[in-house]
Amino acid sequence: MYRHIKQPELLPYGKIREDLFRPLSGLTRKYLFAIIAPILVILIGGYAWATQLRYGMGVTGLQRPVFWGFYIVDFVFWIGISHAGTLISAILRLTDAGWRKPITRAAEAITVFALMIGGMFPIIHLGRAWYFYWLMPYPNSRLLWPNFRSPLLWDLTAICAYVTGSVIFLYLPLIPDMAQLAEHNTPWRAKLYHVLSLGWTGSDTEWHALERAMKLMAGIILAVAISVHTIVAWDFAMAIAPMWHSTIFGPYFVVGAIFSGLAGLMIVMAAIRKLMGLELYLTRHHFNNLAKLLLLMSILWLYFTMAEHLTVWYGNDPSEMVVFGARTRARFSTLFWLMVFVNFVVPFVLLGIRRLRNITTGVIASVGILFGMFLERYIIVVPTLSNPRLPAASSTSYAPSWVEIAITAATFAGMIVLYLIFSKLFPIIAVWEFKPHPHEDEI
Amino acid sequence: MASTMYLLSEFRDKEAVAGAIHSLRASGVGDSDIDLFSEEPVEFKRGVLDRPSQMSLAAVLGAIVLGGAATAFVRFAQYNYAVNTGGMPTFSFWGTGVITYEMTMLGAVLATFVFFLWESGLIRKRDKTAPVPVVPPECICLRVRCVSGDVVKATAILQESGAISVEKKAPL
Repeated sequence: MYRHIKQPELLPYGKIREDLFRPLSGLTRKYLFAIIAPILVILIGGYAWATQLRYGMGVTGLQRPVFWGFYIVDFVFWIGISHAGTLISAILRLTDAGWRKPITRAAEAITVFALMIGGMFPIIHLGRAWYFYWLMPYPNSRLLWPNFRSPLLWDLTAICAYVTGSVIFLYLPLIPDMAQLAEHNTPWRAKLYHVLSLGWTGSDTEWHALERAMKLMAGIILAVAISVHTIVAWDFAMAIAPMWHSTIFGPYFVVGAIFSGLAGLMIVMAAIRKLMGLELYLTRHHFNNLAKLLLLMSILWLYFTMAEHLTVWYGNDPSEMVVFGARTRARFSTLFWLMVFVNFVVPFVLLGIRRLRNITTGVIASVGILFGMFLERYIIVVPTLSNPRLPAASSTSYAPSWVEIAITAATFAGMIVLYLIFSKLFPIIAVWEFKPHPHEDEI
Repeated sequence: MASTMYLLSEFRDKEAVAGAIHSLRASGVGDSDIDLFSEEPVEFKRGVLDRPSQMSLAAVLGAIVLGGAATAFVRFAQYNYAVNTGGMPTFSFWGTGVITYEMTMLGAVLATFVFFLWESGLIRKRDKTAPVPVVPPECICLRVRCVSGDVVKATAILQESGAISVEKKAPL
């Protein structure tokens, strides 16, 4: 009925509300399939982790000198994806970008789930995961405190601060929507929303406080998000290992995180648009803007990659040149050049040429970017550890075992399941914030 | 003795609401007696219905408190079991500055959230006797608290300002 309307802001408010609340009720066959398939993958991942807990870290491909492999790659990757939400949402909120409104909640939810998943990897990597509480700052039986100078503890602190901030950042704008949902719903849902909305009435005092809190939170969370990925970079840069000990690692990682985060957001948006029938709300205009941002990040990523590698090549330090050679000409060169291809060449062509830029090509480029950014982290972690400064130690090569691959696959499936559950409980677009952009046809 | 009454009025136009607020104020109704209800935030020009806030200050204080506490705690822990640092300082801000920074930010986040709950009235003991209007879509409701003797005057102001309905309600 409303298909002819090209400008969604012309839709009646009742229609907007109905469309955005509708996906919350009922279970379609499509939805069930979308949730059951990843649950099976999670079960396999669970079995793999159980195997690792039972038989020890020997079941992974990790061995001297490569003690960091897929798990750390996964950790960096998921923390990077988490930048999709809070950071992008905060930037767009602070700059008051009108087109952000249908995007922000979808993005903020990615942050929370990606952080939950990413935060699991240091624990999985511990081997004896049940001792993870040793990281907590309390004096143990020998009155020792954790090492506060260790980047591992910095990670713990940063991720705890980021998770707390991101959950609050996601929760605050949900309150008015939950108050509306509490009015007409099934009893258990009405009770849930009523409790979570804290008795919100929609008074101007509440709106003022919410807007102020969101502005403040956007500023704070921006600083936290940048620091989190910088600290993840420092996990590497603080070690005097070849091609890790670099001053630009912080910003390089932040750029990579925003880049992969945007790609993740593009895929999620395209999926929810299709699955939930939100074509009127997530328009080509939003994808077009995201595609432009993605293109910008692709160019920035290439710049940082070039700066990093050119400096090492020009320095010609023997231990660094071994790693440089392994990356660009030897064992890891296929992965390296594939990474450059999918992270730069593909997006540059598909998103840079105006005629080719559309939702499908945006999703294709984004899938490539996610793959490329996973490769990037692998190429940062493994070649350096395979070629340490002590040549005698570099005897073996690393390849992930089925356990690591299954656990990695399970985390992707976990993301899908968490997202699907979230989208059934809460509107994926903030109804009260929704003011669609008038220039839908600009592309 | 005059009793308290509430007037619930419905508006379609933001400008009409602003006009009503000005007129009510001019007739002696205080800002704390006026409440606005809507399904989305309504923005007015400065001076119409300002709600002064201390949230930024709370965030800064929260940041200072948690950041300071974290630094003090780390310093205490470093001296409590002093390891041999080979001539380097036992407590170094360079080595633990990240923890101070993150805890400072966490302090700001938590203070903002707690202050939001307080300032919005969500966790404060609110006046349970005040009726809460059901806001129809695309409408703005103005709730005015006044003594029973002023009801007629306030109703006239609301109607003159463009209210599409005005309803008189006693406290619950």
